[in-house]
Amino acid sequence: MKTYAGAIAFFAAAALAPFVVTDAFLLDSLILVLIWGSAAGAWNIAGGYAGQISLGHSAFFGLGAYAAALCGVRWNISPWWGLLIGAGLASAAGSVIGFLSNRLRGPYFVIATIAVSQVLLLGAARWRGFTAGSEGIPVPFRPGFWTLGIADKRIWVWIVLVLALVIYLVQVYLERSRRGFQLAAVREDEDAALSLGVAARRLKVVAIAASAAFTAMCGAFWAQYVGFVDPLYVFSVDLSVRFSLAAIIGGLGTALGPFLGSLLVTTVETWLRAELGGLGSHLIGLYLVIYGIALIVMVRYAPQGLVGAMRGWLRTR
Amino acid sequence: MSLLTVRGVTKRFGGITANRGISFNVAAGELVGIIGPNGAGKSTLFECISGFYAPDEGEVELDGTRLTRLSPDNVCRRGVARTFQKLRPFQGMTVAENVMVGALTRTREVRHAREQAHEWLRRVGLLEKANAHARTLSTGQRKRLELARALATQPRLVLLDEVTGGVDQRSIPGLIELVRELHAGGLTLLMIEHNMRVVTAVAQRILALHMGELIADGPPEAVARDHKVVEAYLGQAYTA
Repeated sequence: MKTYAGAIAFFAAAALAPFVVTDAFLLDSLILVLIWGSAAGAWNIAGGYAGQISLGHSAFFGLGAYAAALCGVRWNISPWWGLLIGAGLASAAGSVIGFLSNRLRGPYFVIATIAVSQVLLLGAARWRGFTAGSEGIPVPFRPGFWTLGIADKRIWVWIVLVLALVIYLVQVYLERSRRGFQLAAVREDEDAALSLGVAARRLKVVAIAASAAFTAMCGAFWAQYVGFVDPLYVFSVDLSVRFSLAAIIGGLGTALGPFLGSLLVTTVETWLRAELGGLGSHLIGLYLVIYGIALIVMVRYAPQGLVGAMRGWLRTR
Repeated sequence: MSLLTVRGVTKRFGGITANRGISFNVAAGELVGIIGPNGAGKSTLFECISGFYAPDEGEVELDGTRLTRLSPDNVCRRGVARTFQKLRPFQGMTVAENVMVGALTRTREVRHAREQAHEWLRRVGLLEKANAHARTLSTGQRKRLELARALATQPRLVLLDEVTGGVDQRSIPGLIELVRELHAGGLTLLMIEHNMRVVTAVAQRILALHMGELIADGPPEAVARDHKVVEAYLGQAYTA
């Protein structure tokens, strides 16, 4: 119970916020924190638990976003179907990348993941007839739950909270279960894990495919919430970096870490944009510099992230 | 009845033949040592048996089932466990968790695996370190950990790669005693050993490799006197 106190507090606060908070900006921020936290959590399944660092997860996010949007625009079917189709496509793409991870290690794998996302970016930007090309595609707003046309931000908080909880629980499973121990062994030393009977290759492929599917679900909800899908954004390396950054700052391979990381990153980013944006547009990019510094400081002084640092602090008291 | 059968195993790396037509059997319950100078092909042979290398020719069988061309994890599940010459503990895990990874190959229950891990740690004399991080162990303790982890997969045959290598002199007798105990408990072991004194003290039979070939196979006293073995170790001048 004590282990989960932080998570219970975090998710309970998120669930109760809509009853207390009425400010649209704060609710919007909460929804984004939960979506980005979920995406960082999904990234963490591959990057943290399986040790397969990817900087191409925007590929899966984009697949989910496009699947949800195109289902509405092209075939007039529910974005819920789009969410499932996107998750299916992403897990197929994730399996392919998973197989690559058995051939490529370290930096080569990272580069391969970037390449995949950039190939999808080019595909989406050029295939004008289907994706509407690089100008992006508006998501039609059709009121209703089945069509995910929801204007009330409070409902959105609860919808994305369900996804966040599912992803959190998947991560908890990866900390406590047989599969989780095996995956941790693969992450530490793949050959040693193999010698102990762990089916390392299959396990990595499944982890990356699951990570991809959950990332796509985040993309689908994000597209429905924001209402517009721009290929240059959803398939960008920036977005992939955002997922990994939140997970690393929060705590690689910890279940709550990605959500805390996302809370911090999103808050600081919003605040810095507001603070620095006013002084003149030449400072607006400064938040990226601060990101970079924060990352260096975290990796140098608290490689276990916020969650790891807090655990250490609690232990020494 | 032979438990492990190695038949005509050849492994080449480009122009170098690391193992050439190696054949031998290991009977259930035997403790067999493999000796040979550096580069004789001992480790390559282990990699071929444990599935990390696929031999170019020949077969490896365990109790009649073929192991050749199975992946290392499959070889382990069929009953062959190994340790590594260069130790590879899971550094970020506790000692008990390291052993649990082995145990989880045979049980689906994490709780069950934890109990088994503690039992194995008790047997190798590491129980008091169960909750310590693997990175804090001494080399001798790491050797014991690797052994416990391999044993937790409930193997029929254990391959030990230099169990006393790199260990301080004082820890060697304890490790030898542990190997003896495991053997007395019915385990079949095949061990690579650099230290001739160690291997002649524990092994019932010794295989000697030289330049990728098996040059002797027999009881320790006979192999130690074999002129080909003496020549391989010390050079021709000493054989007269």
